Amino acid sequence: MSGISIAIMGAAICAALAGCGSALGVMSAGKAAAGVTSEKPELFGKMLVLQALPGTQGIYGFLTAVLIMVRIGVLGGAPLDLSEAQGWAMFWAALPMAIVGLISGLCQGMTAASAIHMTGKQPDASGKGITMTALVETYAILALLTSILLIYGIAL
Amino acid sequence: MIVAMKKASLICMKEDKNTVLKALQKSGEMMLCSVGSGSSSDGEASGAMRKMELLMRKLKPYQKKKGFLEGPPEIEAGEFDQRGDTELSLAKQADEWLEKIEGFQKEKDRLAAEISVLEPWKSLPTALDALGESSYTYSAVGILPAKSVLQADEVLGKYGAVSEILEDGKQSRKISVTVLKEQASDAMTELKTLGFEPATLPKKNCTALELVEELQKKQAEMDEALKKAQEALKTLMEKAEQTISLLYEQYRAENEREEAPLGETLETVYLEGWVRSDRMEKLEKAIAKATDVYSLSFRDPEEGETPPTAVKNNKWVSQFEGITDMFSSPNYREGDPNPVMAPWYWLIFGLMMGDAGYGLMMAVLIFAAKKVMKPSGSTLKLMNVMLYSSITTMLCGVVFGSYFGETWNPLWFSPMDDPVTMLIFTLVIGVLHIFTGMICKIVQNVKEGYVWDAIFDQVSWMLLILGLGMLFLEPLKTVGIVLAIVGALIVLCTAGREKKGILGKVTGGLVGLYGITSYMSDILSYSRILALSLATGVVGMVMNMLAGMIQGNIIGFVLSLVIYIAGHIFNLALGLLSAYVHDCRLQYIEFYGKFFEGGGEPFKPFAIHTNHIKLK
Repeated sequence: MSGISIAIMGAAICAALAGCGSALGVMSAGKAAAGVTSEKPELFGKMLVLQALPGTQGIYGFLTAVLIMVRIGVLGGAPLDLSEAQGWAMFWAALPMAIVGLISGLCQGMTAASAIHMTGKQPDASGKGITMTALVETYAILALLTSILLIYGIAL
Repeated sequence: MIVAMKKASLICMKEDKNTVLKALQKSGEMMLCSVGSGSSSDGEASGAMRKMELLMRKLKPYQKKKGFLEGPPEIEAGEFDQRGDTELSLAKQADEWLEKIEGFQKEKDRLAAEISVLEPWKSLPTALDALGESSYTYSAVGILPAKSVLQADEVLGKYGAVSEILEDGKQSRKISVTVLKEQASDAMTELKTLGFEPATLPKKNCTALELVEELQKKQAEMDEALKKAQEALKTLMEKAEQTISLLYEQYRAENEREEAPLGETLETVYLEGWVRSDRMEKLEKAIAKATDVYSLSFRDPEEGETPPTAVKNNKWVSQFEGITDMFSSPNYREGDPNPVMAPWYWLIFGLMMGDAGYGLMMAVLIFAAKKVMKPSGSTLKLMNVMLYSSITTMLCGVVFGSYFGETWNPLWFSPMDDPVTMLIFTLVIGVLHIFTGMICKIVQNVKEGYVWDAIFDQVSWMLLILGLGMLFLEPLKTVGIVLAIVGALIVLCTAGREKKGILGKVTGGLVGLYGITSYMSDILSYSRILALSLATGVVGMVMNMLAGMIQGNIIGFVLSLVIYIAGHIFNLALGLLSAYVHDCRLQYIEFYGKFFEGGGEPFKPFAIHTNHIKLK
């Protein structure tokens, strides 16, 4: 396999898995939010914020994929002639975001669903719910940083 | 700054109870405490309030649709108490219209049910009152399952009944049966065992078809009437909506007065509550206006009491109070963290957004939203926080050269090109933020007389972290080593000071030193600033790239404008949400974790609270 296609594989897996994680997370939060909104339509705004929280993993995965594309010249410029080793390096660099994006998106969605239930019962506690949900995201952010630093660290 | 509280005791005559409570509620200066004896509840007002609430809910479909950003209607605070016959009659009219509409709807449903019964028998040639018993015969119509047609013929033959097929379907057959009166019940029972289902039709002097047509005509009339009534209610609601909301709020305020905790004797009423020490005169004035005969006294909070927390800050800091309150109100006896937290929140928000273009958009959009929505309370404060933060966002955008995701002439460097430098910068910000928190704790400790604790628990760690940081800078390396070792030794020797026995003290020290991991993870947590600022930048850049790709011709150019606008607004909304949430997290966990106790009860005075209208 040529280096560039391995690197593209990394970018693709990263955007795909992290996106799946977010989709699942936003879905489980959204189901809970729909339930609460059916009883308390006035909480829609708060529900929307909580539901949106697990959506960031998808963005991070997308962001990582774009950075890889920029780095290997697929976006805006001529594709570089990567060696196989460089291609694999890019692939591994994408993995932290891909894997953690998938799993943390799922987990954050579950936490968001619980926070949504809590907000349904105590609308004033939405801030606390947001904070609890955001704690899960820390690890997605760390994975994103690892991926970014690796992508920029690889000598091309 | 946390405002000192005074406990107020108020005694007034029973006949002045209502006026005094009203004055207290209007002034909104006193947070009532329970005084032992229970309060009377379920008074008149609570019933009226509930009725009005139900009415409001039922009337919701007839209200004018509100704009997405439109706030509740405003009225003058002075007019809040006014309630005359016109207002009440408007509510009554709306209620009557509602009842009429409900009646029409019920009638419509009834007609529809009747029609659905008659529908299958439209082909019946005889009048409906020919069915049933006559002088000698009994006749009925009904549905017979197709599989028992032959058996049914036998039964009919046995009783000498006359039957006629009205309609023949695949599954079933509609028939009419006429049989001698004496044999009717036997014949019917036997037919029913075969699955025959006789239909119960109204006795009318017309055929089913005619009756259906008549009923349909009535239905159409009912539809017309219903539509008219709904229109009429809608027109009525144009002027009644605000009145009904106002009535609800009035009853609610009245209900709160009825439920106010107070003690009573034969002639007097006794109230107790917390008052801000800087607003005591206002309370006194409000009561004096309501009555001449009263006794009002203030005292300082006693040892065992926990007064509620009210904070007072300058206008800029006070906008950030909501951030702290969302975590926990500070308790009465500790310091107010807001003045220290506010500038950090402001700065970190800007770093996380970090784009001059988005900062400008924030400023314009939030300013416009404030003008349109006219928010109040916590929403207004949050909007102001973001409005202020748009300044730091623009500044950071200029420093790091980010304009709508494009890099242009950074004053310092661009994080997109050099993420490692940015990472180090964010970690330095983190160390400074955490140190600020630790300094707050030192101040607290020193104030309370625990100078040594401050040195052992805070200064030691600050030395250690500072020393470790200096290791990365070549000229300061030796100083760094010394500082780190001194700090580590202090921790090692003192962290176990409260444990008993030598062994306990040694393990305590070692465990204490292990706390370095928690400090490290706290500091690394600030790397999210880099991640978020990159996320905003890169997504913005992608939007620009997408728009640029289709800019070939005129149509492409127009489409690219759509992508620019929609893409950047989407990215801005997402960036704002992330920055708000993660900035809060850094304050709550990394910063407040170092010194803030919280757990205070917020000061919520007895006042008029409104949801559906706004008092000016």
